Amino acid sequence: MRSRSGIRRLALAMVAGFGLAVWVMPIVWGLLTSFKTERDVLAYPPVWLFKPTLDNYYEVIFGATSILPNLISSLVITMSATLVTMAFAIPAAYALARLRFPAKQASGFYVLATQMLPPVGLIIPYYLALQRIGGLDTYSGLTLIYLTFSLPFAIWLMVSYFEDIPYEMEEAALLDRAGRLRTLLYVILPQVRGGIAVTAIFVFLNAWNEFMFAVVLGGNRVRPVTVAMFNFISVEQTQWSKLAAAAMLAMAPVIIIGILAQRHIVKGLTFGAVKGGGRR
Amino acid sequence: MSGPGSVQLEGVLKRHGETTVLHGVDLAIQPGEFFVLLGPSGSGKTTTLRILAGLETVSAGRVLMDGQDVTHREPGARDVAMVFQSYALYPHMTVAKNIGFPLKMIGTPGHEIERQVAEAAARVDISHLLARKPGQLSGGQQQRCALARAIVRKPRLFLLDEPLSNLDAKLRLETRLELHALQRGLGTTTVYVTHDQEEAMTLADRIAVFMEGRIAQVGTPREVFSKPMTMAVAGFVGTPQMNFMPGTWEGASITVDGHALPVGRSAPASRDVVLGVRPNDLVLTSNGLPARVERVEDLGDSAIVSVTSGGKRFKLKGPAQPHVKSADDVFLSFAPDMAHLFDPQSGARL
Repeated sequence: MRSRSGIRRLALAMVAGFGLAVWVMPIVWGLLTSFKTERDVLAYPPVWLFKPTLDNYYEVIFGATSILPNLISSLVITMSATLVTMAFAIPAAYALARLRFPAKQASGFYVLATQMLPPVGLIIPYYLALQRIGGLDTYSGLTLIYLTFSLPFAIWLMVSYFEDIPYEMEEAALLDRAGRLRTLLYVILPQVRGGIAVTAIFVFLNAWNEFMFAVVLGGNRVRPVTVAMFNFISVEQTQWSKLAAAAMLAMAPVIIIGILAQRHIVKGLTFGAVKGGGRR
Repeated sequence: MSGPGSVQLEGVLKRHGETTVLHGVDLAIQPGEFFVLLGPSGSGKTTTLRILAGLETVSAGRVLMDGQDVTHREPGARDVAMVFQSYALYPHMTVAKNIGFPLKMIGTPGHEIERQVAEAAARVDISHLLARKPGQLSGGQQQRCALARAIVRKPRLFLLDEPLSNLDAKLRLETRLELHALQRGLGTTTVYVTHDQEEAMTLADRIAVFMEGRIAQVGTPREVFSKPMTMAVAGFVGTPQMNFMPGTWEGASITVDGHALPVGRSAPASRDVVLGVRPNDLVLTSNGLPARVERVEDLGDSAIVSVTSGGKRFKLKGPAQPHVKSADDVFLSFAPDMAHLFDPQSGARL
């Protein structure tokens, strides 16, 4: 019995290890590359032992091809998209979850339907629309476009958190003379704190990693880091080690947030699977 | 009628789409009364309570409190407090914060909230739990916390929606007594919803029995038990339920399956009736309605004897260790005054 469970655990560990290796391989490769010189990068067969250098990082942070302004660009767009999204998603999701109003179902479906459209099909209409209102290559323009996919996603995620709160609790608050707004502030929102955090993190990560809209609708002034990394790829050559260093820097906030909020994110992803299965 | 704490419902009608949940309910509750809405599930008692709270609108009719029309007033503007079946405590707040919440919402100063919370908590004996959160409390403690949240406001009306249904049997009995004492101490008008007739009988000053969205009877527990106005009420109130025997009423007796059983009143004219006799009033004698013993359930302090007669089953409740056993042939009788007579068509008491 004991050896069987041991074999089982070993097999499980091997499968998990293999999965992890496949997933982690590009990141490790990128990390190694970011510490190599161009000569080591291009060496064939690939060298595993090399003298690490911080030159690439120095170059992409302080050099002529610094991505620092682009990191700031990314941060501005991502933060504003996250804040605006949450500011609208929370009341909208609450309304969808709780209030009875005409066309409630239709509006719920609309929110989901916007998620079904392939983003690439929207690029040209978005481009034309932004051009018309002077929003190309502006922070507000790109933030606005990010809202078109982050807001429906956030509303959809938040609705399930609001729906999970017993309606009687709200009725109790109404009888306690809290009124609709104070009920939301004092009774409902504190209970969906976890949901708000998860949603905000997802919105942040989606916006931070976005590339396609940024490359088409951004420009010289507004160029997030995902787009700026392309500067290291040109017709003449690809600066692999600098590209890798830039990629590592761009990935850092994502990984840090991922580690800090790991517990919440897993909870958010599995949310609904055990609905009503206990206290959150 | 319209003193502080009086409540009136006038022709209250409630529809949910095509379904009518309440068919015009009229009710007058006296100040300080412990008033119980009793009925089977789906009879409209909880809907009536929610209409009093303002959590449901009415389709027609009026709700009056202290003589004022509050039909269209928001729940918060009615000065009523409610204890929900699920207690509806705020899980992120401590017990103290939960109890103090209604006071905070009306802008009571902090030190005053503290004083009143302590007072309310002491009344329901949870002073030692103020720093805990609802998740750390037992069912009984949660229930007390919900009660404290209701009494702290000193409202003109308490609404309690089956507050004891989530407690175990022993705790339910204890809490029932405490609840009664608490209400008497506060003197606040209380409307209490339950489907448990024993709870209703022990707690209520008066009971309104709900049947299919209508009030079938309003009266003191004694009145409802000893003089049920319809067969439905007679069948619902009392355990085991009343025995019903269809028969013909002629003179001062009713003929059931060819056997004349004397009753306390004479029939104005011969007619069909349904005779109702409570299990406690039915006795085994040497003559009367012949029956066969089916089963004897000994409850320790009493016994329930199930018998069949004419293809129908009746129950008797009597002293422990009856001198009969299964398959014995017996005769049933009752004191003539204990007979309840109902119209077979309308079910109304005759």
